[in-house]
Amino acid sequence: MNCRELFERLSEYVDGELSQELCEEIRKHMDGCNPCVNFAKTLKTTADLCRRLPSQPIPPQVAADLRAFLSEHLPKSR
Amino acid sequence: MTDERSLIAASKDGDSAALDTLVRTHQDRVYGFAMRMCRNVEDAKDILQETFLGMVRSLREFREESKFSTWLYRIAANACLKKRRRGVHDPAPEQELSLDELMPRPDAEGRKPEIADWSDDAERALLRGELSGRMEAAIDRLPKEYKIVLVLRDVEGLSAEETAQAVGLSVAAVKSRLHRARVFVRRELSEYLGGEKP
Repeated sequence: MNCRELFERLSEYVDGELSQELCEEIRKHMDGCNPCVNFAKTLKTTADLCRRLPSQPIPPQVAADLRAFLSEHLPKSR
Repeated sequence: MTDERSLIAASKDGDSAALDTLVRTHQDRVYGFAMRMCRNVEDAKDILQETFLGMVRSLREFREESKFSTWLYRIAANACLKKRRRGVHDPAPEQELSLDELMPRPDAEGRKPEIADWSDDAERALLRGELSGRMEAAIDRLPKEYKIVLVLRDVEGLSAEETAQAVGLSVAAVKSRLHRARVFVRRELSEYLGGEKP
């Protein structure tokens, strides 16, 4: 496996989605390739950081407007 | 009857209190997703309203073959993809991110590129509150079809299979777009944290 072939599979690798055989090939390549090791680490960090981005809770007025919108557009029910 | 399955069943039968609880349970999730996709309160509000109206109108078609939240993301994702953002020039949605262009290149002498490991710096920058804005901006520069996959998979935390259901793509296509989107965002972070040249 060369750098280009490894590069194509790196997200699947850091997500743990590759076969044991492919993981072994990747580790073998990385043993002698520091740029690929660092690329893999920083790609994983990028994915981890995304998960930690703060999410915005719904503002009370937007929630109230949603309620008003739904009662206006939906048939009355029980 | 407070578990989700019961709430869905009651909502299908026209129970407005159950429906209201269902909406309240998911409104933060849908709003957060819509805000991340459009970065504008008015647009996010439109998507929120369209999503829940669509949810109520098609609730009878929900067969519990996927999680309810995944089904809801699908409605929201369709609304996001259709929406043109106010006052923003979106990157061309059909723009392809090429792996060849995103892959770090050897230098003029053919030596392997220098890649810094900035993982620890990123952690510190995140704790100092410096990184979120840069990440949001990098994600925002992605073409929409890539951005939606990255947001669902990496920000919202859906699995590849759930993301595929939400955006109507194959799992293989989701993985391909996700990889390109991650590499793109990584490159933007690298320029900031590791001084890496694009």
